[in-house]
Amino acid sequence: MRSRRSLFESTCRIGAFAVLGWLLGASVIPSHAVRVERATNDDLAARLSAWTRETRSTLFHVDVGVAAPDARESAWLAALRRSGRRVSWSGAPLALAVAAEPLVNPEGGVRIDLAAPRGTAIALRDSVSAIDSLRVADLGGTVATPLAVGVVRAIAAGETASVVVPAPTVVKAVVVVGAASWEGKFVASALEEDGWPVDARFTVAPRIDVTSGGGAPALDTGRVAAVIAIDSTIDAYGPALERFVRMGGGLVLAGPAGMSRTVASLAPGMLGERTHPTVLPTDTIRLGSTGFYPVARLRDDGVVLERRPAGIAAAARRVGAGRVLEIGFDDSWRWRMAGAPGSEAAHRAWWSRVVAAVAYAPASIVRSSAASSAPLADLARALGPARTLAEAGPAGTGDPRIAITIIMILLLAEWASRRLRGRR
Amino acid sequence: MSEFVFATAQYESGDWDSAPLVPANIIDTIARYTEIAVAPTGVVVRLDEERMLRYPLLYMTGHLPVRWSDAERRNVRRFVDRGGMLFIDDHNHDIDGTFHKTATEEITRTVGPLAELPNDHPLYSAFFKFDGPPTTSHELNGWGDNLVHKHLLAVQRNGRIAVLYSNKDYSSEWNYHPDNKRFQSVDNTRFAVNIVVYALTA
Repeated sequence: MRSRRSLFESTCRIGAFAVLGWLLGASVIPSHAVRVERATNDDLAARLSAWTRETRSTLFHVDVGVAAPDARESAWLAALRRSGRRVSWSGAPLALAVAAEPLVNPEGGVRIDLAAPRGTAIALRDSVSAIDSLRVADLGGTVATPLAVGVVRAIAAGETASVVVPAPTVVKAVVVVGAASWEGKFVASALEEDGWPVDARFTVAPRIDVTSGGGAPALDTGRVAAVIAIDSTIDAYGPALERFVRMGGGLVLAGPAGMSRTVASLAPGMLGERTHPTVLPTDTIRLGSTGFYPVARLRDDGVVLERRPAGIAAAARRVGAGRVLEIGFDDSWRWRMAGAPGSEAAHRAWWSRVVAAVAYAPASIVRSSAASSAPLADLARALGPARTLAEAGPAGTGDPRIAITIIMILLLAEWASRRLRGRR
Repeated sequence: MSEFVFATAQYESGDWDSAPLVPANIIDTIARYTEIAVAPTGVVVRLDEERMLRYPLLYMTGHLPVRWSDAERRNVRRFVDRGGMLFIDDHNHDIDGTFHKTATEEITRTVGPLAELPNDHPLYSAFFKFDGPPTTSHELNGWGDNLVHKHLLAVQRNGRIAVLYSNKDYSSEWNYHPDNKRFQSVDNTRFAVNIVVYALTA
């Protein structure tokens, strides 16, 4: 009777020869069950309809070169794959992505965000003409344009990413709340001059408020985009303010408004004592040069937007779907009235940017089957990562390296057993 | 938050300080009827100095001819362009008088022509309700031009009053110590509250 060792050695030997035989057979005997069809970007469009009529055993491989196929072709390839056919691709298209959203601004406009490897030069066009060009820095690039028509295309190194221009945002009212003061008056004036619809409520005496615009509308994102609190009179809104912000509304806490108890759970941080720098009669007044309330204790999720030697002058925070901006300046009107030439325009533009940063704007998502905003990502999502034809390979052949490894292991095991025979 | 400071405009050519008790009286009225944080004393600012831009509401009056210097005109123009409000009152109550003629000429030359302010303008309901500019005792007594002026005049910018001009002699009407209000059945300085509230909220 044969020993177990002998049986083991025989099994290893037979197994190694079996795998070797299978490997030889697979390489010699043609596998008429699998065909390979290839295409490049140049002829892919012409080949797709023919590919659709091919049998399921055909392997389709596309060499895309430096640019992913367009959205229609990628979708077709994805459909082929979902129908059970093997589809693979190879190439080195540029990782490029573009997104567009409307600017929240009475003048309208579009903000275009771009992502690409650092140093990539990108040209931007819409359906009518060139918009701009830029070279991507670390985190991408952004372009704000007053007008974009149709489809925005970002073109770089032969690759094109496209996005449909979203519909302009309908700007809703900005509510300004505070005691009657120069700051409230000039904030409301600046925003109105810049085209924002402003509803103001200024407290003049107990139970006497002076209102303008729509008065004091209920806070809901259907009518109000943002609230600017000039001081602690914002307390009058109570819990409605937090509900509004969590629903997506914007809140600006100017000056001492951040000390109000109603906003304690919303503010990015707690305010410190107001600074009082010396201002001479001959000094040119700038924003904050008459002092401000620094954000002394920032919450963990607060983000510093402006830091000055005396402390954090502006900070922001997300609350639910909304944004809260805390700015320590309570005398920006002095900058407008007594600043250098052009200060009134600068004051207006600054306040407009502050409001635009937090104002509620309903998302406007427009999709088009003809536009791919991230071609490489779409291709990878549809067909998987890039693979060479060898890696994709006809099914059933497997990776020959695995077979060779198995053979080696089996022969090694048999040799080791022979060598160790008789050892104790 | 900065206080409201009542500022009187000092100009070179005339008697700008012809109504020295008006500032204290108006400050008293503001404090009496409203919660507006008002500085207890007013200031005097020269129209030819940039410091005047730090006071967005300026009160100006006088009896004598008004001739602004180039620096004064430049500052008044900037003041109005940036959103300030200038309240000018003819202390003569005389549309034939030198103050009215010269002041209106300077205003027109510097910021634009004056037009009648409708009596339903928001100024007249900014705090107290008035049917138009309140009449003054000097008007009713036939002082000056012997007319009761039915309208104030104004230069407006972006729908707001930039220059408010009065022929009604509020400077005489309000030029008394605030303690003497107790002798009046109706406080005749209430319209000043409307002017200040309008300036702070419009």
